[in-house]
Amino acid sequence: MIDLKVQPLDEKRILISGIPPALAAVLHELPEILELRDSPGVRARLYPNPTADDKINQEWRQITGPELRHLFVSAAETVGRDLTALTADVESGDAYRVTFPIEHVPAWMSALNQARLVLGEIHKIDEAEMSRTDFDPHSARHMAALRIHLLGYLLHLFVELDGGDEPENHI
Amino acid sequence: MAPPIETGQPGVVIIDETKAKDELSSPWNVIVHNDPINLMSYVTMVFMRVFGYPRVRAEMLMLEVHHKGRSLVWSGGREQAEHYVHQLHTYQLLATMEKSEA
Repeated sequence: MIDLKVQPLDEKRILISGIPPALAAVLHELPEILELRDSPGVRARLYPNPTADDKINQEWRQITGPELRHLFVSAAETVGRDLTALTADVESGDAYRVTFPIEHVPAWMSALNQARLVLGEIHKIDEAEMSRTDFDPHSARHMAALRIHLLGYLLHLFVELDGGDEPENHI
Repeated sequence: MAPPIETGQPGVVIIDETKAKDELSSPWNVIVHNDPINLMSYVTMVFMRVFGYPRVRAEMLMLEVHHKGRSLVWSGGREQAEHYVHQLHTYQLLATMEKSEA
């Protein structure tokens, strides 16, 4: 049974506890997955064209591209450093835990979502693949979909932590 | 911008001010497109953060994206539309903008 939790440890730190070994393995791979962000197909997804006009799109890429890339890389680096503190959770059997500063939450959400999109693009994951409930461990595509779901489960907990009905209630 | 109208008199052109103003003030639509990966809860949160929409409206728009493949999430001036599209891209949503036909 998964008892994964994302919660404030105190006013300054967030604790992710009860991380199952399968998710811990994906988190260990996170920096490696995120380095694939510059693959051609992935670039088109992470830096989409804003219009149908080639000239506007080209100008857009020149203006916003470097800033977006800096944002994505910076988030990945922050989470990569935080993940060096990922350790066995002695209170939860074979699970893992990690703590990090509360101001890193946006970086975590960005990095988790980036990784899901990178895996989705690299393995051409579609709606049907995302609806799959049986995963063949010998299929790279099935395993990519499984990793997307595992990261999605953690991302959803971050969204819940963000909570609140009003926009200003987020962290 | 509307092209100037030649008058035949040297150095004198008439600019169709009304048409030029119309083009500048035509609204732009910000569209969010469906993708199989982004979480529904994540997309809702992004709409609340970027546009300041209450949860009910954000969820309604998210469901429209999910079921219809796209949703017009905001309409207004071009500069603001560009700002919103950029914000949505920072959250890794598939967002585009197009001039309103209306």
